[in-house]
Amino acid sequence: MTDKSTARRLGIAAALIFLSTVALLLGRQFSLGPIRPAPDWRTFGPPEAPVQIQEFTDFACPACRMAAGKIDEMMRVFGPGLHVSFKHYPLLNIHPWSLDAAAYADCAGEQGKFKAYADLLFEGQEKWGLAKAPPPEFADYAKRLKLDWAAMQVCARSEATKKRLRTDIAEGDLRGVTATPTFFINGRRAVGAAQLIDQAMKFDNILREAAKK
Amino acid sequence: MSETPIKIKISALLARLVVGGVFVYAGAVKALAPAEEFAYAIETYKVVGPKLALLAANVMPWVEVYAGLLLAAGVFTAPLALFNLAMLAFFELLLGQAWLRGLPITSCGCFGAGGSTSISQEFLQNLCLMCLAWVAFKFGRHWSVDQACAPAPEAGDAA
Repeated sequence: MTDKSTARRLGIAAALIFLSTVALLLGRQFSLGPIRPAPDWRTFGPPEAPVQIQEFTDFACPACRMAAGKIDEMMRVFGPGLHVSFKHYPLLNIHPWSLDAAAYADCAGEQGKFKAYADLLFEGQEKWGLAKAPPPEFADYAKRLKLDWAAMQVCARSEATKKRLRTDIAEGDLRGVTATPTFFINGRRAVGAAQLIDQAMKFDNILREAAKK
Repeated sequence: MSETPIKIKISALLARLVVGGVFVYAGAVKALAPAEEFAYAIETYKVVGPKLALLAANVMPWVEVYAGLLLAAGVFTAPLALFNLAMLAFFELLLGQAWLRGLPITSCGCFGAGGSTSISQEFLQNLCLMCLAWVAFKFGRHWSVDQACAPAPEAGDAA
């Protein structure tokens, strides 16, 4: 009798564990977790904007360069309706310097020039992207923007910067990012600039209304 | 064989649901976020190194969800209530040592990286949860899966 009762309870326990595991894994797949804010220097547009875009990007990826142009264009057209956050997702197996680029971009951000430095990184990605030795472009861009390069180097090596980048990558992994650029537009996934435009069109009315205000 | 008063039954049920619910919520929030985020929160306690912190960050949220869910449902209530109580005591130790050492902890990691209160508040909150877990251990068998699955003669007796 007791064995039967224990067996039933074990069965119910196993069912609950199985169901909760499936629910959480589905939750991960559909990005239902809490939204991790990006640092201020990597966010653009009003935080309360009706359309929220999160972009997982890699500075050495040509498709990300194209997408950056599209995002800039969208920001110009729909400014008040859009809030864009950038997350780093360097594809380390094919772009050896992407992680360094992301770190320097964040450190430029700490000095108030993330966007300008990111634009230069995208512009010159063919020069530094597949370099064999540490690319001198990172320092050149810093000098062009009158950034404190020594401070940027210290910052890029700091544990806080490394942790921030690792957490971005882990978040991308968790949300099933496998290619860059991957966007989440109000939670809906889009990979590449074409899908971004396609998804954004679904919010066209909201964006236009917000842009009129 | 005396009947357990209804007030105690209700209190025990609420205790089980509150402790179980808090564990399910805390675990789910962390399981749905990158493990590294929780790992960095664990590292700030300066008790374990980065590797162990990451391992704990990968395992703990799931343990919390399972333990909380089973307790709330009342499956193996007494052992699960004890297990939850032990986890709370362990968290209390971690918080206590951080409090005493004056470690600069900005997020306790209890409910993921965001929404953290001060260490002292978390410490008190854990104490309350420990009391509730004890109530669940002592009287939590009523209105539970355990009771539903129990053989008929034991169904209505006191805890």
